Amino acid sequence: MTELDDHGRPEPPLGGDELATLVGFLDYQRATLAWKCAGLDATGLDATVGRSTMTLGGILKHMAYVEDYWFSERLHGHDPSPPWAAADWEADRDWEWHSAAADTPEQLRALWQDAVIRSRALVTEAMADGGLGRPARRPWDNGTAPSLRWILVHMIEEYARHNGHADLLRESVDGETGE
Amino acid sequence: MTPESVPIVSGMTESDSPWEPPLAGTEVEHLVGALERLRATFRWKADGLDEAGLQKRIGASTLTIGGLLKHLAVVEDYMFTIKLSGEPIGEPWDAAEWDEHEWPFTSAAGDTPAQLYALWDGAVARSRARLDAALAEGGLDQLAHVSDGDGHHASLRRLVCDLIEEYGRHTGHADLLREAIDGLVGEDPPPGWRATSGG
Repeated sequence: MTELDDHGRPEPPLGGDELATLVGFLDYQRATLAWKCAGLDATGLDATVGRSTMTLGGILKHMAYVEDYWFSERLHGHDPSPPWAAADWEADRDWEWHSAAADTPEQLRALWQDAVIRSRALVTEAMADGGLGRPARRPWDNGTAPSLRWILVHMIEEYARHNGHADLLRESVDGETGE
Repeated sequence: MTPESVPIVSGMTESDSPWEPPLAGTEVEHLVGALERLRATFRWKADGLDEAGLQKRIGASTLTIGGLLKHLAVVEDYMFTIKLSGEPIGEPWDAAEWDEHEWPFTSAAGDTPAQLYALWDGAVARSRARLDAALAEGGLDQLAHVSDGDGHHASLRRLVCDLIEEYGRHTGHADLLREAIDGLVGEDPPPGWRATSGG
């Protein structure tokens, strides 16, 4: 059993192999986002800071989308899952950010949590089907495709960056801080 | 920050966006590539600011981009001296209170922009040389000096991932600070970007 810290986060391995380390860091970042959003009501999840329009609710919905985009649509070539398939991306490229304001905190947390559960299973599936070097099934328009390794490292960066946004948002909502 | 921004950037040539990691490289290429991409992104967000910009705060936070430049300079040197090899942190920190958590953040207010950019640029240059040497010597599996106190040492892989995480988080802080300073937003530096301030 992996040890959890005071905020319910699993510490990444000190001397793990490549897969254990990448997945360990990704899960730590996911748990950090859950902590930064924990216990907030709709007003807290919809607060902004400085000049930015970002919100914690928007980050939750964006990360749910990004989880599905990389691990389901790109890595496995699956069709977009709801609600992404139903969204009008033509009308609003940042639909997931903006539409989050109309969702309840419970909906936003469930949307993100379910996406994370799907992603974990999809990574396990890809590991059994070629490992970290396995290319994404859906390449980009120029024919190149990122490897599973690329996607995992990218997701760690993506979460860490948004957790930096979450730090400043959460501090402005109720003063809670911490790494 | 939509995922769609990635394919556009990855189609650029290496000389336009030297910070982009390879799509299907080795583990070392990916981890060092991710670190370099974040360093370039952080440096872009911090670039070209005057004293007022470097000391700007938002919301309830005391963080500033000037403080982040100095903090990350300390973290760079700390990671690849004390944590990696157990050697002293060395210049320019050994006479400073670098190991007090708040010092880099608070003392940055007394530094000039040129000093802050030079601190970060110098630390990154040292880190690149130290990490290259360590990778040539023993790769990512090698055990670093730092341990949990029970004899379990961190691998170099863990240290590099720690630094990626550290940069990602602080670049997120820099995103919101920079937007409040002059409205600059975006996920990656524009193609062809080079730092304009510092040495």
